[in-house]
Amino acid sequence: MTTQPHEKTLEIRQLNATLPNGMRLLRDVSLTLEPGEVRALVGESGAGKSMIGRAVLGILPSAVVHSSGDILLEGQSLNALRPKTRRSTVAKMSALIPQDPLTALNPVRKIGPQITDPLVRIHRWSRDRALKRALELLERVHIRNPERVINSYPHELSGGMRQRILIAAAFAPSPRLIVADEPTTALDVTVQKQILQLIRELQRETGTAVLFVTHDMGVVAKISQKVTVLFAGRVLEDAPTEAIFNDATHPYTRGLIAATPTPNATAEPFRPVPQDLIAQLQRDTQAEDMRFYQGGRK
Amino acid sequence: MLLKNVLVRLITTAITLFGVAVVVFVLVRVAPGNPIAMMLPPGATSEDIANLSALYGFDKSIFEQFVIWLGGVLRGDFGTSITLRQPVAELVLGRLPATLELSTMALFIALGLGGTVAVIGARKRDTATEVGLDLTSGAVLSIPDFLWGLIFVLLFGVLWPILSISGRIDPRIEFDFTTNFYIFEGLIRGRFDVVMSTLSHMLMPAMSLALPLAAMIAQLLKQNLKEVLNQDYTTLARVRGFSETSVILREALRNAALPTLALVGVQFTFLIGGTVIVERLFAFEGLGNMAIDAVINRDLPLIQGIVLLFAALFTVINLLVDLSYTLLNPRLRHG
Ligand SMILES: Nc1ncnc2c1ncn2[C@@H]1O[C@H](COP(=O)(O)OP(=O)(O)OP(=O)(O)O)[C@@H](O)[C@H]1O
Ligand SMILES: [Mg+2]
Repeated sequence: MTTQPHEKTLEIRQLNATLPNGMRLLRDVSLTLEPGEVRALVGESGAGKSMIGRAVLGILPSAVVHSSGDILLEGQSLNALRPKTRRSTVAKMSALIPQDPLTALNPVRKIGPQITDPLVRIHRWSRDRALKRALELLERVHIRNPERVINSYPHELSGGMRQRILIAAAFAPSPRLIVADEPTTALDVTVQKQILQLIRELQRETGTAVLFVTHDMGVVAKISQKVTVLFAGRVLEDAPTEAIFNDATHPYTRGLIAATPTPNATAEPFRPVPQDLIAQLQRDTQAEDMRFYQGGRK
Repeated sequence: MLLKNVLVRLITTAITLFGVAVVVFVLVRVAPGNPIAMMLPPGATSEDIANLSALYGFDKSIFEQFVIWLGGVLRGDFGTSITLRQPVAELVLGRLPATLELSTMALFIALGLGGTVAVIGARKRDTATEVGLDLTSGAVLSIPDFLWGLIFVLLFGVLWPILSISGRIDPRIEFDFTTNFYIFEGLIRGRFDVVMSTLSHMLMPAMSLALPLAAMIAQLLKQNLKEVLNQDYTTLARVRGFSETSVILREALRNAALPTLALVGVQFTFLIGGTVIVERLFAFEGLGNMAIDAVINRDLPLIQGIVLLFAALFTVINLLVDLSYTLLNPRLRHG
């Protein structure tokens, strides 16, 4: 597949997701990702960051009843595809680095096949090529003794090792887009930095676009060029990272930045996002819901 | 470590079997009914009975009898059947293959049927299909094995007689096998007529034994599959492009099988217990059928031999279950 230079790697248009009880998880979310770009998705817990990633990858929870809007991968509308084609299209173009490396590997299968299986069965590579690629990437993510590791079971490896393996597996088929859903939160603080560094290096080397879910503004500053700020499933702000840090337009974003403890400015007191601001946003959201439902009933 | 496990296992097995032997030995002797009186013609005098009792050693105390019997067992002599007048070991081992083949076939049917239904149920989870399968397996489970036997006899023996309802093999087939494993030896020797006839005779009793277990496996395995299908690694497999069916078969099945296996082991021993009545129902010449005759005739040495063999069989099955558990679970394999 050849990429047109003007084509966006990912385009989300007016995405909505709703639960059976009417709760709206995503509200008209739109965002784009240029080739090789890293976009951070930030917002408090429950804002819908993971939900966006899941929508892109086609793994929304079965409870999500209604979703509208469209997602385009390199200009290809996913709505236009039949489920089977959609699944293989998404799988061939994108990958996921999951949040918890301890639960993301199958405990009864060896590491090797867990990396090579998709390469052979979905991407139709030869076994030799897949194995070579797996070893090469394991080495790249600084795993000593890759030959031994591919014959190991997950429980024999540390959390940091497993996350490196999952990163290797994600990059192995050279995807255009990687969704990284808080890939460091489940790890020790010391390991977090290394993993983040690794993702950034690999992203630069391969030019893969990354949708990086996090609630840590410190991480945002290190890794991303663009930022999308979410609140209650709504995009509050979408701007280049620099602009966000220098003069965020939305007070909630400024609150988020202020709430991030900076290691080199320990004297600065920790200030959480002000409660009255959050309350105000919640009222706005409810008012919007009212308009949404009344509009829908007409 | 491993050696210690094996040793502990052997010792507990020996203790269990000894306990079973003691209990059975005492129970059959305090239970009403005198085997000797049943052997003799109605006109026999009490003197005749006393003489014959002394011949079989029944005049001694239970403790003495047990010591004598245990001494024999340690030398490989399990006594002589009172009614059949043959060594118990020979009789029992002659029947064991029939029961083993029957219960193995039942186990395979239960695993195949229950496994398939579980996979379909998990694949169609949260749909009407799943509810339908749940209701069906619930209904199947509520009917015990011997009732299934009666239903099958009625359906395929009487109303629509397509299967033979008695015996283990067509008596017109001539063959001379060294073992009583008709299917196993038939396959090795290429006597497919023997194999086919045995299989068709086994089908109904095996199905009767298998259905309740199949229903149980269907329910439990499906539940375990559904849990595993919420795990992150199955989600990751979907992201990687695998279809739901291949996620179930490749990623979920082995993980879901682990908790199912423990139950299957226990239930399989119940299934073997069920052979006693089911074999009787189908006049299948196995151990269970022989056990009923032995009890009716108060053939004490034979009863003891059969019960001990069943107990040994259960121990072996538990051992095999533990072994396969270790094989399926890498976390146990590597300590
Ligand atoms: N399986 C599910 N079924 C129903 N609702 C869900 C499910 N998963 C998440 N939600 C709801 O969807 C909303 C968005 O959740 P999401 O996981 O996207 O949040 P998030 O921004 O990733 O938060 P976090 O930082 O805690 O991961 C939340 O209100 C959550 O309660
Ligand atoms: Mg999340």
